[in-house]
Amino acid sequence: MELPVLNEKPAASSGGCSSHSCGTTDDQLGHLSDEIRAKVENHPCYSEDAHHYFARMHVAVAPACNIQCHYCNRKYDCANESRPGVVSELLTPDQAVKKTMAVAATIPQMTVLGIAGPGDPLANPERTFETFRRLSDEAPDIKLCVSTNGLALPDSVEELSKHNIDHVTITINTVDPEIGAQIYPWIFWENKRIHGVEGARILIEQQQKGLEMLVAKGILVKVNSVMIPGVNDKHLAEVSKIVKAKGAFLHNVMPLIAEAEHGTFYGVMGQRSPTQDELMDLQDACSGDMNMMRHCRQCRADAVGLLGEDRGDEFTLDKIEDMEIDYQAAMEKRKVIHEAIAEEMHSKRTAKVEAAAKHADAKKLNTRPVLMAVATSGQGVINQHFGHAKEFLIYEASPDGVRFMSHRKTDLYCSGDDTCGDGESVLQRTIRALEGCEAVLCSKIGYEPWDMLEQAGIQPNGEHAMEPIEDAVMAVYKEMAEAGKLDEAKPEQRATA
Amino acid sequence: MALKIIDTCVNCYACEPLCPSKAIYKAEAYFLINPKKCTECVGDYDVPQCASICPIEGAILDAEGIAINPPGSLTGIPPERMAEAMAELQAH
Repeated sequence: MELPVLNEKPAASSGGCSSHSCGTTDDQLGHLSDEIRAKVENHPCYSEDAHHYFARMHVAVAPACNIQCHYCNRKYDCANESRPGVVSELLTPDQAVKKTMAVAATIPQMTVLGIAGPGDPLANPERTFETFRRLSDEAPDIKLCVSTNGLALPDSVEELSKHNIDHVTITINTVDPEIGAQIYPWIFWENKRIHGVEGARILIEQQQKGLEMLVAKGILVKVNSVMIPGVNDKHLAEVSKIVKAKGAFLHNVMPLIAEAEHGTFYGVMGQRSPTQDELMDLQDACSGDMNMMRHCRQCRADAVGLLGEDRGDEFTLDKIEDMEIDYQAAMEKRKVIHEAIAEEMHSKRTAKVEAAAKHADAKKLNTRPVLMAVATSGQGVINQHFGHAKEFLIYEASPDGVRFMSHRKTDLYCSGDDTCGDGESVLQRTIRALEGCEAVLCSKIGYEPWDMLEQAGIQPNGEHAMEPIEDAVMAVYKEMAEAGKLDEAKPEQRATA
Repeated sequence: MALKIIDTCVNCYACEPLCPSKAIYKAEAYFLINPKKCTECVGDYDVPQCASICPIEGAILDAEGIAINPPGSLTGIPPERMAEAMAELQAH
C-alpha cells in the first residue's frame, strides 16, 4: 500500500534506506552529538540499542486530563490491556516513590521512571512534581521523564528544568487546527471547555511553544504522533519536518489503536488503524528528515520492566507495602550492573562496526530486501522460544545491511484468554502478525508451529540461538541469497486461517 | 443551588482543584460535592468549573437533576451509534 507522501519525496521512498538510520555500522543514534548520546544511551525509550538491556517504569500518579482525544476513553481500566492510558491502581506521590524504589532495587536494569498518565502529567502538576522532587532527592540514579499532550507545557518548563528532568515527550498529532479538530473534540483552557478548531488551534500553539522552550533549555524532546489513516497520515511527514527544525531529536510515529470495545470515538465510529506496511512506509517517509523511533511498545501508564514486558503485577500496592528497601545498597548494586551492561553494549557496538567493515569489503549482493522476525527476551541476542514470544522484532535485511523496522505483538495488545477473542487460535494469530516476513529466527520451535509457518510461507530458523540479532539475520539473508531464493520476486504468502 | 456528582464519576481528580468554593471532596467510592458550599461558580466564573473539565458525560447534574454534559456532547459519539456498537459487542 502506498502513501501519496512517498511519491512526493522519492529520496525517502523505495528502499526506505536513509543515510543515518541504515546499515549495520550506524545505530539509530549514530549522528547524535556525544552529549545527547550520553543522555540517552541507557534510556530504553530513546535508544533502540538500550531497549534490549534497560528497563523503564511508569507510575500512575496523574489521573486528570485537560483535553479529550478521540483515541482515548477515560473510563477504561482492564488488567489484560496493554496500551497508553490504561492503569490498574492510581498512586499517590508517596506510594509512587515507594514503588519506584522497590522496582529499582528488584530490577536493577530499570534506569528510567516516567510519568505518563493515565491523564496528562502536567494537568496534575502537584502530584507529578511532588513525585519528581522526592525521587530526585531519594533515588538520584534514576532518570526522570514525562510525557504530555503539551497544553500546559509552556507553564511547566521552568519547573521541569528544576527537577533534573532531561527527557520530555510531547504528543503532536498535527500542526493544522482543521485536522486537530478531527482528533481533539475539546480542550479545557482558561476556565472554559473549548470545542473544535479553536480548541485545536490553542493546543497546537501550546505544543509548539512548549517544544521551543524545552529545546532552549537543553531538555531532550521526543515527539510522539498517532497515525490515523484518513485523518493525519498524509500530514505527519510535514509534522516530522517541523518538529525536527525546532529541535526535537526523535520522532515516534505509532499506529492508532481503535477497537469498539474500548469505547473510544475512533473505536465506536469504526475508524481503522493503519496496517503494518502503511506504518513502516510512513516511518520511512519521515526518516529522510528525522531520527525515527521504531521500537515503541505503546505501553500502559503503569508499565514496569523491559519494553515489551510488564512486571507490574509484582509491584502492586499490597506487595510493595511489605518490601523493606535499603536504597543505598541497591544503588551500589545498580551501579555495578549498569557498568557491566555499558561494557557489554560497547563491545557489541565495536563488533558491529568491525563486522560492517568486513561486510562493506565483501562482494555486494544485488538482491531484494527481506523482512525477518526475531524472538528475543533482551540482550540483543536470539534467545527466546517461538512459543514463548509475546512479540517479535522485525528486521529488514538487504545488501546494505540489517536494520530494525518495528515490533509486532503476537497477542495484539490484549493478553486475555482465547475466550475473549474471535476464536482464532493463538498460533494463527501469531502467524498473521508475522505477515510479510519470510523467516522467523528463534532459539527453539515446536513441530506444529514449524509446519504452520512453512505452510504460510515463513521459514522458521532455530540455528542461531544466542547469536547477536544482526549477525544472525545477515547470515540467514546470505543463505537465502545463496539458495537463489532472492532472485525471484517475493513469493505470494498463503492465508493461514 | 448546587451541582451533584453521580456514581459514573471515574475519580480522575480533574474537578477537585478547580472548585473555587472547595466544595468537591473525594469520598469512599467517588467524588462528591458539598451542596452547602457549592455556588455553581456564580460570581467566580461564567461556567461551572467541574462540569467544564469533567470528561464523563452525565456524571455531573445541575440543580434540577439534568446532566450538564449529555450523552454525545463530550466524545462526539452519537448516542444511537454508541447503543448500536454496544449491542453488536453484546451479540458476540
